[in-house]
Amino acid sequence: MPPSSPANPLREGLLSRSAPEPCSLVIFGATGDLTHRKLVPALYNLAADGNLPPSISVIGFARREKSDEQFRAELEEAARKFSRQKINDELWPNFAASIFYHRSEFTNLAGYESLAARLDELDAHRGTRGNRLFYLSAGPDQFPIILENLRKSGLNRAKEGSWSRVIVEKPFGTDLPSAIELNNMVEGSFREADTYRIDHYLGKETAQNIMVLRFANAIFEQVWNARYVHHVQITASEPLGVEGRAGYYDHSGAMRDMVQNHLLQLLCLTAMEPPTDLSADAIRDEKVKVLRCLRRLAGPDVAEHVVRAQYAAGSVNGRDVVGYLDEQNIPATSQTETYVALEASVDNWRWAGVPFYIRVGKRLPKGATEIALHFKSVPPVLFRQTSQAIDDNVLVIRIQPDEGVSLRMSAKLPGSSLRIEPVKMDFHYGTSFGKATPEAYERLLLDAMAGDPTLFARRDEVEEAWKFVDAIRAAWDSGEGGPLANYSAGTWGPDEADELVKRSGAAWRRL
Amino acid sequence: MEAAVSDLVTITPGLPVEIGRIEKELGKLWEESGDGKTRASLINLAIYTESAAAVDRNTELIAQIATEHACRAILIFANRTAAERGAKAWINAHCHAAGKHEICSEQITFQLDGDSPSALTNVVFAHLDSDLPLCFWSQAPFREPLDSRLWSWIDRLIFDSNDWDDPAAQFALVRKIATLGEVRTALCDLNWTRLLSLRLGLAHFFDNACALPYLRQLDHVEIVHAPGARISALLLLGWLAHQLDWKLDSVLGRHAFRAPDRREVTFEFVMRPGACISSCRLAAGDASFQLDRAQHDQFYHATMSGGRFEASSQLLPAGRDRITETLLMELSRGGRHPLYLKALDAIQPLLAE
Repeated sequence: MPPSSPANPLREGLLSRSAPEPCSLVIFGATGDLTHRKLVPALYNLAADGNLPPSISVIGFARREKSDEQFRAELEEAARKFSRQKINDELWPNFAASIFYHRSEFTNLAGYESLAARLDELDAHRGTRGNRLFYLSAGPDQFPIILENLRKSGLNRAKEGSWSRVIVEKPFGTDLPSAIELNNMVEGSFREADTYRIDHYLGKETAQNIMVLRFANAIFEQVWNARYVHHVQITASEPLGVEGRAGYYDHSGAMRDMVQNHLLQLLCLTAMEPPTDLSADAIRDEKVKVLRCLRRLAGPDVAEHVVRAQYAAGSVNGRDVVGYLDEQNIPATSQTETYVALEASVDNWRWAGVPFYIRVGKRLPKGATEIALHFKSVPPVLFRQTSQAIDDNVLVIRIQPDEGVSLRMSAKLPGSSLRIEPVKMDFHYGTSFGKATPEAYERLLLDAMAGDPTLFARRDEVEEAWKFVDAIRAAWDSGEGGPLANYSAGTWGPDEADELVKRSGAAWRRL
Repeated sequence: MEAAVSDLVTITPGLPVEIGRIEKELGKLWEESGDGKTRASLINLAIYTESAAAVDRNTELIAQIATEHACRAILIFANRTAAERGAKAWINAHCHAAGKHEICSEQITFQLDGDSPSALTNVVFAHLDSDLPLCFWSQAPFREPLDSRLWSWIDRLIFDSNDWDDPAAQFALVRKIATLGEVRTALCDLNWTRLLSLRLGLAHFFDNACALPYLRQLDHVEIVHAPGARISALLLLGWLAHQLDWKLDSVLGRHAFRAPDRREVTFEFVMRPGACISSCRLAAGDASFQLDRAQHDQFYHATMSGGRFEASSQLLPAGRDRITETLLMELSRGGRHPLYLKALDAIQPLLAE
């Protein structure tokens, strides 16, 4: 580790979190959608809340010819459209003065060398200590040349007392070999400790709350195991189709787009053991252990434990929609899955025998992401006379929308007879905390500036997740993984998915 | 201080109810309001005042607080000068729209007539939302004897040291409360809370690598404060002194600080109408670091100049200089404030002046 910047004693004890350090944030692909929709609004919100070091510089690096002023004007328009806070006319010019544009082809080494000179100049003017944060927001095909030129120009090397970090946007490869190749490439320029792989799901408040719920509440952790949990369901449903991302999505599919990263991260947070402490590596060590315990599904096992499907024409939210194969820019012969349901097993002491059901799909009736722990039934002794089945307890962690936690339990219906009905205790973030929660990108950018990688994926996490996913995809490619099923848009998926959970006596939750 | 109130004072913060029927009447209130309303509560927020005029003001404040912190609010008006002892209660609800729902917080208002210290514990604390933390905002001065039973119920003791007529005596009592046996009360001085953005602003200057060395060379601090906000200025000075390890040195009736390198650090307070702290300037030789804020301005104008760094001028968020925002900030931050008592220690001898 290079020596850290000299401490500012006025910072000590001021905030309960690590303070972000002044730096130059260089965004590669600065004219792209992510910069406009997410990154710059997030940076503005951080500045408006007083969380951004005022001396920070934001440098957009892209191919198109434009001046600093033009770039700022474009970003202002985007920020006014996408920021969660209204843009303050007095503050924006102050914030915009820290934004600069650097025009260069990604392939042109001279552009990086001139960037280095410009950053040195900004350091001298703005006191940013030589700290650099490079954000790879360009297409993944551009990563190799950007990383190579960062290395050749020496920008990857931090000066004495400062740091140089890189943020890599997903996808982290398209399979294990490409992920290894990408990771090696990143490692050729930046140390793992300086590499921040962003999965915005981990920046969501409710994802962060999973650990608090589990480890700060004695009642949950006692029952968080195979002795009490019958099965776990992790769902990410969305009513949208491919929405202009046809090219990307048809190559990716639901498994690579959602399961490999977001859903396996949620599974890890749900299944992990308590970390030794709250340090980034302690937490990520435990998550990796879960991925290593995931039973690999390969060959004919895939047909038994995984269902893939594609949506056909149907109706969503009262509107008729076309089937996947009729979407614009989707080949008529595409075999890409828009829906996956799978039964995963975490083969360790805590979870032996507990199925983890994951389902993800497009063009489902509504958008929701949640984790549900279904508890085992009580012994059928006391209430067998009541001629009605007692619903099992279900603890639901809603990631989005309507973030919150609910617990289903049984209660006696008032009256002289013994009637048992399910009731729900429900905690809604929005109800209890009126304040708008920060966007995931705000938290993650702040963490990267503060040098806290807890909410970023580590190399081994990414690679272990690919091992699990690749084996399934290999079975699909070889034909052993079962056929591609169909479901009508606006339904909850194919019948095969219902059959998958029925084997353990479960049923998909009605969301 | 508010004027003492008479026996004839009347307040009407909602529906009058018998004290013994408060929970039942609240239940009825929710039944009658239909399904569209959701009752929510994260904390018990008790506000204690001895001013009748403050009841309406506090009811309005509770309504605003409830939009971000769902709570059971308990407003206590202690009419201590009333000749006869007695207690009255009112209930109401504060609702706001949140998507499809209307989220509501309850408010119970008590008027406690006569000087009966036990009424607070007996009557009021019987109506807490159980198991939720109790934030107790005392808008009246603390008095001896301190009832340890009362304080042991309080999770967060909120007060505003700018309101005190005798800060030295009040701070002494606050320290005593914090050290009462079994008590785990977090001390939350709103005066300390309102300094947060100012302290962040000052810290920001020295994040700049070129400015950082000047922090150890500071030789003068100038703070401009509003009338009645001297304690704010003192706490800010105390924080600087603690963070930079300055020790108060009083020679021939003149106060200054000594830095660890024996350098003298002088300070000056200027009283001027305007924002609570309208300006704070730190000087190190020719180098100057200054935050300025006009009254009601949401930003500090941060300027640094004169040293071997590039002069700059920036805007930093200051928040609104209103009690509602300060209280919301305090409730959002949570936790204890470990630097508060240390800052206080650093300026202790100056409190009585």
